[in-house]
Amino acid sequence: MTKAAALAGHKNSLRGQVAIVGIGLSPVGKVPGRSPLWLAAAAAKQALADAGMQKNEIDGVLASPAMAAQFHRFSVAFSEYFGVRPTFSNTLQVSGATAATMFSIAAAAIHGGLAETVLVVGGDSLLSGLTPELALRSLTESRDQQYEMPFGIPVANTFAMTAHRHMKEFGTTPEQLAQVAVTQRQHAARTPGAQQTEPITIEDVLNSKMVTSPYRKLDCSLISDGGAAFVLTSAERAKALGIEKPIYILGGGECYTHEHIFLMPSLTTTGAVQSSQWAYDMAGYGPKDMHTAGVYDCFTGTVIMMLEDLGFCPKGEGGRFVADGQMTYGGQIPSNTHGGLLSFAHSGIPGSLFHFHEVVAQLRGECGARQVAGAELGLVHSLGAGFATNATTILGTENTL
Amino acid sequence: MISLEDAARKPLPSPDADTAALWRGLRDGQLLLQHCGDCGNVQFYQQGFCRHCSGENLTHRPASGRGKVHSFSVVHRAPGPAFKNDVPYAVLLVELAEGPRMISTYTGGRSDEVTFDMEVELVCEPVSDDIALPRFKRA
Repeated sequence: MTKAAALAGHKNSLRGQVAIVGIGLSPVGKVPGRSPLWLAAAAAKQALADAGMQKNEIDGVLASPAMAAQFHRFSVAFSEYFGVRPTFSNTLQVSGATAATMFSIAAAAIHGGLAETVLVVGGDSLLSGLTPELALRSLTESRDQQYEMPFGIPVANTFAMTAHRHMKEFGTTPEQLAQVAVTQRQHAARTPGAQQTEPITIEDVLNSKMVTSPYRKLDCSLISDGGAAFVLTSAERAKALGIEKPIYILGGGECYTHEHIFLMPSLTTTGAVQSSQWAYDMAGYGPKDMHTAGVYDCFTGTVIMMLEDLGFCPKGEGGRFVADGQMTYGGQIPSNTHGGLLSFAHSGIPGSLFHFHEVVAQLRGECGARQVAGAELGLVHSLGAGFATNATTILGTENTL
Repeated sequence: MISLEDAARKPLPSPDADTAALWRGLRDGQLLLQHCGDCGNVQFYQQGFCRHCSGENLTHRPASGRGKVHSFSVVHRAPGPAFKNDVPYAVLLVELAEGPRMISTYTGGRSDEVTFDMEVELVCEPVSDDIALPRFKRA
């Protein structure tokens, strides 16, 4: 029995113990004149209204840090700005994987009695709060100062080297990479407020400017402003509050395989294999059971690799899976139905919170023209730092408990 | 958040309490790898413990300087103003003959010459009085 399977049977498993009872989104894309704190607070206000709760009912705050804000303790600064006085709070930082870890940690805190109702919140303004040059350089600053940064290695480059190797080992093509961008743009066209909705073709992607090979401009996620927030509380309290459609956290898993890209055990198989396995084991469901997914999509090739590592298709088949329409409506796993980081918005760490917002909205059946019919089980995978950090969350409706 | 002024300068490595010997070696034209006397593990970069067995019986030995390109990516859009004049340049993930991998950049040729599994050889390029960067040319 794996450690995860053993824990899943344990009385302390988080499965179904905690529910998401409110979701909120700030305006996203280009939102000039608004600070990261404003974006976070706008989302939080909406999440509380969605839950039908007052802010004094929040006793926990978990936040992600913001690049365009100077606060060392963003969660604490947020609480002051928003006018709450939590008795449980932290600012979490494992790069792009932070979002999914926020849900696991909030659930563990609630289940463990550290807090009753936790606000999970993030906001940043990479587009309006930083110049393009500073935004790019800030992303480079996240690489190691001795062994990576001196060589001019943007974080994009670490992801590019993994995709490049994937192309060599499995024959993944630039056209297959491009298909991810095309599909997600189609999804964004049905999402009110998405940053990029203009249709694109595979040729448009292949003709866009090379950024760092094999990635061209349209293979890369956007740079955006925006925030998202969620209210989490215990399943019992969700029931007592009369929440109409609580969405339960069924499983969570993380995996950290390296810090430096040169110590990544394999460039083409990532820690997402372990993080998702842990989450599936806790949830008692497998990849074939999922109805929709939010798959971290900082680059097109990242999605292809993750569809494999999350178990939606065999290793090496991701390119063909995508080209075959399996990540959109009518396919095996409609993914990033809001458009993802590639077309909806990417405001740094909060970007992956948008995937959570979308999957929760899908499971609540609120997605209108882009609704995945009958969606009851969803997965969100967050990752960052050249696949150094991976975290998976599995969500489900009351029927899936 | 970094200032615009800082963003215009190339970042130079600052050796830390663990890594003085590595950077001294590179300044003197040698890439030092750590060999664990307890378990035989060979590691890059220099640190206080063997990553495999946590032993501290580590000795430095110069690497052969030979390796091959495990993966690469040619940068066309510079990550900030400091690298603008260098594009296009090929960032390499080199697998050293001794086993460890490291990040570097291609030197002594055009970025479009780089291929998977290409044999490469170490070049220590001084960038300040104290620091030489380990770069690689075609072997």
